[in-house]
Amino acid sequence: MRILLAEDDALLGDGLRAGLRQLGFLVDWVRDGEAAERELRAQSYEAAVLDLGLPRKDGLDVLAAIRRAGIATPVLVLTARDAVPDRIRGLDVGADDYVVKPVDLHELAARLRALVRRAHGQPQECLSAQDVVLDPAARSVRQAGEPVTLSTREFDLLQAFMLSANRVLSREQLEQQLYSWGREVESNAVEVHIHNLRRKLGTALIHTVRGVGYMLVRDAPKS
Amino acid sequence: MIQLPRSLQGRLLVMVLTVVVGVWLVTAVMTWFDVSHELDELLDGHLAQAAALLVVQQAQEIEDDDRGIDAPTLHRYAPKVAFQVFHEDRLALRSANASIAPMVGANKDFKNGFDTLQIDGATWRVFAAEGAERDVQVYVGEQMSSRDSILWAVLRSTLWPMAMALPLLAVALWWAVYRGVSPIRRLGRALAERQALALNPVRLDDAPSEMAPMVDALNGLFERIGTLLESERRFTADAAHELRTPIAAIRVQAQVALGEADDAQRQHALLSTLDGCDRATRLVEQLLTLSRLEASAVPVMAAVDLSALAQQVVADLAAKSVGKKQTLEFEATQPCLIPGNETLLTVLVRNLVDNAVRYSPPSARIKVAVERQDGQVVLSVEDSGPGLAEAERLRLGERFFRVMGSLESGSGLGWSIVRRIAAVHQLDIQVDLSAALGGLAVRVIAQAGARAA
Repeated sequence: MRILLAEDDALLGDGLRAGLRQLGFLVDWVRDGEAAERELRAQSYEAAVLDLGLPRKDGLDVLAAIRRAGIATPVLVLTARDAVPDRIRGLDVGADDYVVKPVDLHELAARLRALVRRAHGQPQECLSAQDVVLDPAARSVRQAGEPVTLSTREFDLLQAFMLSANRVLSREQLEQQLYSWGREVESNAVEVHIHNLRRKLGTALIHTVRGVGYMLVRDAPKS
Repeated sequence: MIQLPRSLQGRLLVMVLTVVVGVWLVTAVMTWFDVSHELDELLDGHLAQAAALLVVQQAQEIEDDDRGIDAPTLHRYAPKVAFQVFHEDRLALRSANASIAPMVGANKDFKNGFDTLQIDGATWRVFAAEGAERDVQVYVGEQMSSRDSILWAVLRSTLWPMAMALPLLAVALWWAVYRGVSPIRRLGRALAERQALALNPVRLDDAPSEMAPMVDALNGLFERIGTLLESERRFTADAAHELRTPIAAIRVQAQVALGEADDAQRQHALLSTLDGCDRATRLVEQLLTLSRLEASAVPVMAAVDLSALAQQVVADLAAKSVGKKQTLEFEATQPCLIPGNETLLTVLVRNLVDNAVRYSPPSARIKVAVERQDGQVVLSVEDSGPGLAEAERLRLGERFFRVMGSLESGSGLGWSIVRRIAAVHQLDIQVDLSAALGGLAVRVIAQAGARAA
């Protein structure tokens, strides 16, 4: 899952980036409000962690601006301002969650996963399609009850597919989900990972839609 | 000195009643003298008139008989009035209460005019008159006590109503004063009923104009307290914010270190944890310095050599500057003594030089100088860093103000401390752009103290 982290404090930002990466997130880190707004407008993130006291543009202003622009990316506000009026204002402006520093890394990750799940209309903790079950917290995949071993990229790709089950995803959208900044995307990387997924999970799960992209089919085709 | 009652109402009542009774007494005394004088004139006139009648009558009745005749008593005051008529030194006529001896008392030559005499143990006012041929001598006397009775009667009729009115007056005054001071009581109630932290202005709709300055002063005080509380509240919130961020960083970095398999990454996270601890420590120290500065009275002052002090600070910070490949210069040609507290001045200079080192980019030039100018000692810290916009320069010293976009960690308390120490030492601080180096130039100007030896 690719998320945007907007935090001006070097030490905290560095720690959050490293910690969330450990927990399986792809993290892009910006250190001021203007950059945060620019990235949220330009890229599609599964979620964003937004500090409020950002230089150049306050976090709440960034939030209000992207909501006005119709960007629905789930936003978790991470702040030291804990007064109830601050929380209310944050949620009213368009925050999906409000967490006061200091925060436990695992809790933050769980909250982000919950935000993403909700944004995709997925009520359960685990994502499932046909006989495949994906557990985002444990980062594990089972097919018909048997564990399946996937690489990090394959897991991220499958998770992106399962979150948007029955919807066609373009190659560019999938690439955005797979790579944070500064990582070179090989021209056929997505194809290679999809090939591997089909090899491990069977060909019935992910379909190719010619000229558009790929689609994960949630229910097994009637035979 | 009489102890007045503590209540305003009691005081007003006592003072007004005292003044009223005093005025009445003075009036009574003046009435006494006036009435007694008028009474004397009038009654003396009557005596003289009666004597004149008796003289004339006796002159015509000489032929009648020479025996003393007692005149009848006709009025209840008559016993107090007496007369004697002598014809050729023989008693010709007298009132019943008059003695046979002439009413001359001790004044043996008394023949004409008024005199006040002691006769038979009583005080008499006597008028004596002689006939034209000096053969008739008339004395008409009146007891003084009768005059006093009249005088007392007059005074009684004047003073009695006043004495009777006094309790009524006291009650009326009590009521009037009670009504008069009611705005003060209402103000007291309004203040007593306020919440401890209610700082909205007091409103008294029909407060008398005398109370307006008091209410205004009170509201002014509430406003000042409100501003102070607001700034304290903001300070607490800001301090919480500034403390939470390094703590959050420490926690997150520690969790990263726990979960990291890669040795180099774990090492990095652990070092970052230590960084966070250092930052939190510095922040707490700065907060403590600031709170001590704000709480304490004037610190102990002595003559401090600013040149030597600045040199020591520059020496302490040289390593840090060299680490950033900056050029840190120091220039002071002579000792410059100023009155001050050495510890505090060191904190001030350290903050300024540390800021210059911290916020100037690598390879920047930083120049610290102490010099004398027109009887003043000037410490200047200049750098070739990015400088600050005018608006930002003005905000330096606001607690927790940090320059936007600065990636250097800092609490935003350094300048608050600098300003506070400067205020305690009555130092003038100028923040400008450096003409020589292009970055920020801070000048601390002090009045020179004792001449250097």
